[in-house]
Amino acid sequence: MKGAELVIRFLEEQGVETIFGYPGGAIMPIYDALYQSKVKHYLCRHEQGGAFSAIGYARASGRVGVCMATSGPGATNIITSLADALLDSVPVVAITGQVSQAVMGSDAFQEIDVLGLSLPVTKHSFMVRDVNELADILQQAFDIAVSGRPGPVLVDIPKDVQLAEINCQAVSRVAKSAATENTTLPFAVAKQLLAQAKKPLAYIGGGVHMAEALPQLQQFLAASAMPTVTTLKGIGSVDKGWPYHLGMLGMHGTQAANFAVQQCDLLLCLGARFDDRVTGNLQKFAPHARVIHVDIDPAEINKVRFADCALLGDMQQILPQIATPLNCSDWLAHCQQLKQQYSWRYDHPGERIFAPLMLKQLSERMPDNSVVCCDVGQHQMWVAQHMRFSHPRNHLSSGGLGTMGFGLPAAIGARLARPQDTVIAVSGDGSFMMNVQELATIKRFRIPVKIVIIDNQRLGMVKQWQQLFFNERYSETDLSDNPDFVALAAAFAIPGHTISRKDEVESALEAMFTWPGPYLLHVRIDEKDNVWPLVPPGAANQDMLTEAGA
Amino acid sequence: MNHTLTITVNDEPAVVERLLQITRYRGFRLCGLDLKPLADTTGLLITLSVVSDKPVQLLTSQLNKLYDIKSLELATPDVAALRA
Repeated sequence: MKGAELVIRFLEEQGVETIFGYPGGAIMPIYDALYQSKVKHYLCRHEQGGAFSAIGYARASGRVGVCMATSGPGATNIITSLADALLDSVPVVAITGQVSQAVMGSDAFQEIDVLGLSLPVTKHSFMVRDVNELADILQQAFDIAVSGRPGPVLVDIPKDVQLAEINCQAVSRVAKSAATENTTLPFAVAKQLLAQAKKPLAYIGGGVHMAEALPQLQQFLAASAMPTVTTLKGIGSVDKGWPYHLGMLGMHGTQAANFAVQQCDLLLCLGARFDDRVTGNLQKFAPHARVIHVDIDPAEINKVRFADCALLGDMQQILPQIATPLNCSDWLAHCQQLKQQYSWRYDHPGERIFAPLMLKQLSERMPDNSVVCCDVGQHQMWVAQHMRFSHPRNHLSSGGLGTMGFGLPAAIGARLARPQDTVIAVSGDGSFMMNVQELATIKRFRIPVKIVIIDNQRLGMVKQWQQLFFNERYSETDLSDNPDFVALAAAFAIPGHTISRKDEVESALEAMFTWPGPYLLHVRIDEKDNVWPLVPPGAANQDMLTEAGA
Repeated sequence: MNHTLTITVNDEPAVVERLLQITRYRGFRLCGLDLKPLADTTGLLITLSVVSDKPVQLLTSQLNKLYDIKSLELATPDVAALRA
């Protein structure tokens, strides 16, 4: 067989059912081998969209997402998506075609150094020089993508390697099992710190669910009752019934979460990385707390905040080892009081739609186990604040890179990964336009994604910062000449509807969810609505700005 | 502060670029680089001298994650002083 056929055979034997991509000259042999393969290929309309769909597929399902692109511009177009996958630790394998080795280095047509471009945006990347290495490299790529802290891996395959003949029967190799560290972890130290704590608090990131350790987390909390907060990527990790959950912490976190973190004397960091959007002013973050840091990635320990105790390894195995009965009932009661005192308010005056309330209504109306894919900006923070999720795989938000244009293609991937579940793309009028071409993918495959555009005719988050921190100088954030979004959807045979009043919300949501196919709901809101609370840049997390104080 | 790292790597494409890119990105300035094949020809021996105000562990922990790194040793100040 040819190298190109080997690639497809490998994917089939690996159990890959769905891939996303866009053909071009240097990857034509692989697309030829794909013809009539049982691997289902979804043609995106821009390689960035295809790679985001692979990310959405991976994040919604826990399986590896696979995308393909040709050399040159095809490959450069996936760089942003790979960076997004790197910063959010998403297992993705990207296969790119490359010009033949005979012309490589001669600035051939659609030639660019993809291996070089990939270095800072992947966990690892390969250039295949010999067809005899191809199967081993593909296996390594899949192994690396899922092992330890997951991440994206790129395999660049020159056209001559795709066309080269190779004689082999089975192409899959034995997957390497992740090495188990037998080092003794300081469980006793961690348990002692927990037992000594008067005000312990668990700070939960995306690493817990990625380790498939949510059952262990609930068991740990049942044994070691302590208040919990989550990062953006940890949302949905804590059982809805847990009475001491205070919500998201950080720049747009809840006041209760941020106050509790600032007051706690022990921070149990589980699969999180002290991101600057979480800590605010690092020197003033959780100033009274000792830190236990549990993570799979050694490079995260002491990277930002010193850990008094570091537990490196598998979250599933570590959490049961450190469960400790705690005696902190006063602290629990205090945190519950914070939660009540700073609960969200939805008594917004006037007829115009208030996005937080609308998203709360959406959250209450959407079917159980729905997946919500966000874009980036004000709507993203409103989703994180006001919607409720039963699992982190139901809330896909571009966390680390903060990539506008993520939501729509991610929703395509999520729906294809979980065809039994409702998938909703919540976007803003700025973000939606960044990968709007993927409406064509939805049209072609009749993917029943529900799209909600929250439209304030502005780049709202930037505008908010201009208002608060740049003397109301609204430089290049006016989008009042947006297209007619409903007409735009209609051009792709997607029905839609526009609403602008509170009393229209319920019936509009009903119409969207009862429509059997894709649907676009265009929600007009007031440009003056901002995201609150907000920790200003450089401030400590207890110094949040609120709407009342702004 | 100056640090010297002795690194053995698989002789794979882009391995040196990976080392240098991470060194720069993580805030360390390169002030010396020596590279030669290992005696058994299974890879390369690289000596990297860097300077930064940051703790060197911030660099070594990132370099240790690279798949083509076989070993990484950080020369302690005492050892470095003796060698000097």
